[in-house]
Amino acid sequence: MRVSIVHISLLLAVVTACHKPHYIQEHNSRHYAVGKEAKTDSSYIQFLAPYKQRMDSTMQIVIGYADTTLTKAQPECTLGNFIADAMLQAAKRSNSSVVAAVANQGGIRLPYINAGKITIGKMYELMPFDNALTIVEVPGNILVQWCHHMAAMKGWPVSGIRYEIKDGKATAITIGGKNVAENETYLIATNDYLATGGDKCSFLTSLKATPVNLFIRDILIDYVKQLNKANQPLHPYIEKRVRYAE
Amino acid sequence: MLNRRSFLKKTSLGAGLIATGAFPYESLAGEKEKKLTILHTNDVHSRLDPFPMDGGRLAGLGGVAARGALISQIRGECDNILLLDAGDMLQGTPYFNMYKGEPEIKAMSMMGYDACTMGNHDFDAGIEGFARLLPYAKFPALVANYDFTDTPLENKIAPYTIIKKGGIKLGIFGLGIELEGLVSGAAYGNTKYNDPIQVAKTVSDRLKKGEKCDMVICLSHLGYEYETNKISDKTIAKETEYIDLIIGGHTHTFLDQPAIARNASGKETVINQVGWGGVRLGRLDYVFGRQQDARLQNSQSVNINKETSG
Repeated sequence: MRVSIVHISLLLAVVTACHKPHYIQEHNSRHYAVGKEAKTDSSYIQFLAPYKQRMDSTMQIVIGYADTTLTKAQPECTLGNFIADAMLQAAKRSNSSVVAAVANQGGIRLPYINAGKITIGKMYELMPFDNALTIVEVPGNILVQWCHHMAAMKGWPVSGIRYEIKDGKATAITIGGKNVAENETYLIATNDYLATGGDKCSFLTSLKATPVNLFIRDILIDYVKQLNKANQPLHPYIEKRVRYAE
Repeated sequence: MLNRRSFLKKTSLGAGLIATGAFPYESLAGEKEKKLTILHTNDVHSRLDPFPMDGGRLAGLGGVAARGALISQIRGECDNILLLDAGDMLQGTPYFNMYKGEPEIKAMSMMGYDACTMGNHDFDAGIEGFARLLPYAKFPALVANYDFTDTPLENKIAPYTIIKKGGIKLGIFGLGIELEGLVSGAAYGNTKYNDPIQVAKTVSDRLKKGEKCDMVICLSHLGYEYETNKISDKTIAKETEYIDLIIGGHTHTFLDQPAIARNASGKETVINQVGWGGVRLGRLDYVFGRQQDARLQNSQSVNINKETSG
């Protein structure tokens, strides 16, 4: 028996002395579509309730309606045109010399908005960032560079600008229906994220930029409200503002 | 009282092992194969509620109440669960605009997350904003390639963590994407971005060889892959030697099955990503044993069960 105890001690020493390596023998994978089965855990619903209640009281307010499904796509899309048009309209109110607006594709944060009522909350989902409208003074050569950048990124939303994409570069660029004049300076509305070099727009940072004290999101809310006041639905069109060269 | 005969048999086996210094696979009592289940999310973007029932393709999917129920159910079925998130937990619904991430992080703590990394949008309330959320997180936020010196996150974000689950030693580290040109300078402040490839090499080497982790997991917010030479999960897999699994994010990629890359030592590195919005929960089941390089011998036996698509 004494020998056995010694053996046990030795065995324990070996087992506990250090972490003995384990190696992966095999692995399998799967994934679950969360919420596809109706099971939910009510403790989370209870936990969320106070947050949700306060949020919904603001966010579920209906501000207008869409009579078509708006989608996010490239090179041009209806969600993008809605955003760029609303930005241009708001900027023009601040300075009537603004000729165009540019938004970034990555700033569109919903894949779609279905036809039907539009709530304030939906605009928060579409544009959750607290980015503000900014008017940038863009020389013609920088505008061309910007369009090349947009083309390399497979097309960004624009209003008042048109371009074609060919081999990852912009061609047939027009602004206000005219060709870009290299020595002219254009007032272009964008968001402060891009104006300060976001989404690789470092070429904008040295330009003169005038901030407009409006969040892009509030501009979108206002745009939908105005349409609703005029009994009009939100219905942006694809207009070949941005297209692939043939 | 143990039967003396089997008792002696076991103990002399132990002594025999000491003599030879060898551990035959599954020969010792309690040396059965060990199992680990890894559950993961990425780019949940403040989706605490399910997507609204608007007839769209994501309608009714996601939400913490459904995810929490699913995770609890899986916890009931499996012993060793590791729950991970690859960043961009924040920003995308009015919850974040109103509460700056508090309910998102609290819900993750309720679900028992083990670790997360930081995505670019986790800077959207500023570095201070993220620092304010850390007391709600019962799990570490890991980023190895951001230097937070002289920021409110200094000494609050660890490069890696080591977790033991059911006798398996897991080394987990985080990698963040380049912030310049992506996140506004005001939001990331003095945060310095270091080359994720070099950092991944150093940290994975330390976890595997220094810390002797059985498995090295990288939580990455670099993105799955790019057409340009921008650093991605595929780059990290290819350039490093000791990462077993990369849980990725940023590109919102729905991988129907994990990608398997050949790493710098010729072994396999698994990469997975589950889209965005919390509409999908990823699951990887691992079996551990004593046989070294089993995967190389059995690499064809990897069994992928496609379940449902988000």
